[in-house]
Amino acid sequence: MLLANLVEGMTIGSLYALMALGLSLVYGILRVLDIANAGAYTLGAYVGVLTWRLTSSWWLALLAGAAVASGLGWLLQRHLYVPILASGPIVPLIASIGVFTALEEAYRLLFGPYILKLPARIPLPTVRIAGTVVSGVQLLVLMVAVAAFAGIALLLDRTRTGLAWRATAQDRETAEAMGIDVGAVTGRIFLLGYALAAAAGVLVAIHYNAVSPTMGDMPAYKMLAIIVLGGLGSPFGTVAASLLIGLVETFVAAYVGFLLPRDAIAFAALILILLLRPQGLFARGVAAR
Amino acid sequence: MSRLNRETRRALAAAAVLLIATFAAACGGGGKPASNAQGNNAGSQGSQAPIKIGFFAPESGFAAADGQSAQDAAKLAVDEINRSGGIQGRPVRLVDYDDGSDAKQAVAIANKLINLDHVTAVVSGSYSDQTLAAAPIFQRNHVPMIAAYAVNPGIPNTGSYIFQQSFTGTVEGRAGAVLAVSQLGGKKIAVVAIDNDFGHSLVEGFTQEAKQLGASIVATDYNQFGEKEFTPIIQRDLAKGADLFYLVEYGPEGSQFIREWNALGVKKPLVGTEGVDSTTEFLQVVGKQADGMVITTNLDRDSQNPEVQRFVKDFTARFGHPPDMVAASTYDAFFVLAHAMRSTGLSPEEIQKGLASIRDFDAITGKILRYTSNREVVKPVQLQVVKNGEFHHYGIVDDPALIQP
Amino acid sequence: MSYAVVVGVTVTIYCLLTLGLNVIAGYAGQPHLGQAAFFGLGAYVAAILATRYGLPFWLDLPAALVLTGLVGVLLGAISLRLREDFLAITTIGLNFVMVAIFQYVPFFGGAMGITDVPLPSLGSYTFDNSAFLVVGLLMVCAVALFSAYLERTWFGAVLAAIKDDEVAAAAIGISVPVYKIAAFALGTATAGAAGSLYAHFMSVVTPASFSFSESVVLLSMLVFGGLGTIRGALLGAVVLGVMPEVFRFVSDYRMLLYGVLLLLMVRFQPAGLLGEGSWLHALLRRRRLERGGLGRAAA
Repeated sequence: MLLANLVEGMTIGSLYALMALGLSLVYGILRVLDIANAGAYTLGAYVGVLTWRLTSSWWLALLAGAAVASGLGWLLQRHLYVPILASGPIVPLIASIGVFTALEEAYRLLFGPYILKLPARIPLPTVRIAGTVVSGVQLLVLMVAVAAFAGIALLLDRTRTGLAWRATAQDRETAEAMGIDVGAVTGRIFLLGYALAAAAGVLVAIHYNAVSPTMGDMPAYKMLAIIVLGGLGSPFGTVAASLLIGLVETFVAAYVGFLLPRDAIAFAALILILLLRPQGLFARGVAAR
Repeated sequence: MSRLNRETRRALAAAAVLLIATFAAACGGGGKPASNAQGNNAGSQGSQAPIKIGFFAPESGFAAADGQSAQDAAKLAVDEINRSGGIQGRPVRLVDYDDGSDAKQAVAIANKLINLDHVTAVVSGSYSDQTLAAAPIFQRNHVPMIAAYAVNPGIPNTGSYIFQQSFTGTVEGRAGAVLAVSQLGGKKIAVVAIDNDFGHSLVEGFTQEAKQLGASIVATDYNQFGEKEFTPIIQRDLAKGADLFYLVEYGPEGSQFIREWNALGVKKPLVGTEGVDSTTEFLQVVGKQADGMVITTNLDRDSQNPEVQRFVKDFTARFGHPPDMVAASTYDAFFVLAHAMRSTGLSPEEIQKGLASIRDFDAITGKILRYTSNREVVKPVQLQVVKNGEFHHYGIVDDPALIQP
Repeated sequence: MSYAVVVGVTVTIYCLLTLGLNVIAGYAGQPHLGQAAFFGLGAYVAAILATRYGLPFWLDLPAALVLTGLVGVLLGAISLRLREDFLAITTIGLNFVMVAIFQYVPFFGGAMGITDVPLPSLGSYTFDNSAFLVVGLLMVCAVALFSAYLERTWFGAVLAAIKDDEVAAAAIGISVPVYKIAAFALGTATAGAAGSLYAHFMSVVTPASFSFSESVVLLSMLVFGGLGTIRGALLGAVVLGVMPEVFRFVSDYRMLLYGVLLLLMVRFQPAGLLGEGSWLHALLRRRRLERGGLGRAAA
């Protein structure tokens, strides 16, 4: 049972990490609390359903979802966030809330209020370890998550875009003065960040076999809590915080029960941690301002 | 100093003007039916003026799936009442508003229905929050209202004009306990429920009755809307020796529970409630995985009543999916209202009397024996079992002592 | 007419909430995404005092105001340790925790909420909707005038300095903590008063009415109208407050319209409809100057 909860917690944590990672990258580059990222998560799921219905292919669904959503991300940064960046942090937040509201309503109007299914078959075996069942979908989630983390780690560490991201995240103006094409970096990060959110959406849709217009409500605020816990704008802190939250939630549920609403527990813990460590649990130089 | 003062004053004055202007716009701009001069003149028997029935449901927002079901059923009911000649020779007109799952909007809608639309009576197709907020306004203005499926006991408590169409949570919970303990032999029961008034009131009734019948409750857990992870809870409760699970959830959460229940290969009896009584939100999602689950609800799919079969057929033909508990309850509310209007008259007092004196009315959701003096419905609880991914007849709980709220 | 009055009362409640929020987010520049929690606290305090202890509206209103303000002091103290986005998310968290408390603690009525909050009365006169509107408007006027007064005092100037550059403000000897906490106390106390009015007006208080999404709506109103200005707080509350009702004729599309309007607004008028430097405000100001100039010339 310990092992089972561990697997369960890791799966949930990985899903959280996929959702939060994109948001964290986007936050790092623009310092915008981007609620609309959760709209991309839902968009990915719906595009995934449509693609799966046409092609019956789970990986095409994943790719199509990510592609369409990254287009949305690029448009948003170019035509919405960057132009109003000078107005302080609250204004872009409100803009992203407007986008999120409009997107959720558009999904409901286009696809109806009812749950859609995405019963894709994953060509991975169900693994049994010491009496614990790990389903093919769970394996896929873990694999995609690991691949995404590794890819982003390489990107940030080894590529010019990664270097530019780190420089811009630290100080946008200085980066610009040093000759970094901040606009292009921002565009690329949004492509990536929204693609990640959408990939998470497709995986969630397959894992839970359910897509609905309001599925983004929970990630919209919960991912904010996770990236804060990880130290705002620190991708590795974000992954660590996601896994931590996934595990804690699972173990609390397993040994204590749904004591309080899941999110209230997460947020109460967050407030306590922030009071003790105002810069977040895993903050490194980048985030501490 | 004085310049600033003037500026502030101007800003305030401008705001006041804007406030008033926008009210005027709000007043004139909204409302589907434009002609409302005649009001609810109950006396004019011969007139062909339509009888307006007000309706509100969460057609947008997080509860939009139920709102859509309720709205569809309301349209179907009104069309059928009109096809059969209306009420006292007058057609019925539906005045339908979306409350967006927001209590403040429900209050505005209630006032609009009363003062601008001049409706004769109202059906709430909404959840408890909105229904509770709207009820006192209808009560103060003596407009009869039927809550189609909201379960909060505060609703009928509002006053003499407010009726509750679905059984109280306590009654359904008790019926669930009889099913779980007496019929399915549960001894150590695990309870998993949604954390709102629906979940709490059912669990309260269930726990009391189950304990009286000699079973023990090994754990009770409440989860919030959108919960997807039940595996840890299921495993923990199994480890505690649970031999039966009582599940009080809505479709989206219930279907996730079933998914994990099957993934874990649990072979214990599972008792559900009307919350998962939905094809679009539950059965369609879980398919045959829920086979064997028994739920307490109000719609018997295998009913011998031809009206039920006709309703299911008509609804499915028109909206492309079978009706659920929400749809059936909403549909019934309109026919109960029509029955009261036909038998006693159209004034608020007459409708109120008509509803209060209903006896043994054959509704889609079972025979309504009567309303209590507190305007809570007394009717048997249907037990439905999932077979081949469809709800079918399992039994009925009609012990008068149990179904009396 | 009563329908318009009811919408009007709702709008006055929104106005009170945005005016309070404006002190915290507008004047002091502290991102506050938990205003609905304080609104809810005020509503619950008033509902409990009125239903269980028989207190009249006129007494539970100040009680709700004071108690909510005290909890606001607590949030203010927390805000001292946190900067900007960390604070924003802490306030979100606070909202979730507060709603969970309303829902779980039986004292607050649990999931069933509190029903039958009585209508206020004055002597033998029991409130109807118009009375609520009058009282609501009076409260809005009082808070707006008080805000205008604040803007012109030392207090307002200090908040502006903190908003501009907290470190610099501290460097010139301003006791930043005291002023920040005071801003939180004032802004949340206003929400508490609005909550009392709401509880009596609705006669029902349930946890769902004070969720995080309500806080989002409030901040949206403020930014929509113009962050940091009284006129903006009022205008945002009025426009976005009546929008769901005014746009009923487009029924299914009204929330879509709401979202699109909000994003277009902040995209093209980031200062808000009537904020400093907005197109509309500049236009109004120019016309006023022209008229003033003409007046002088004539004299």
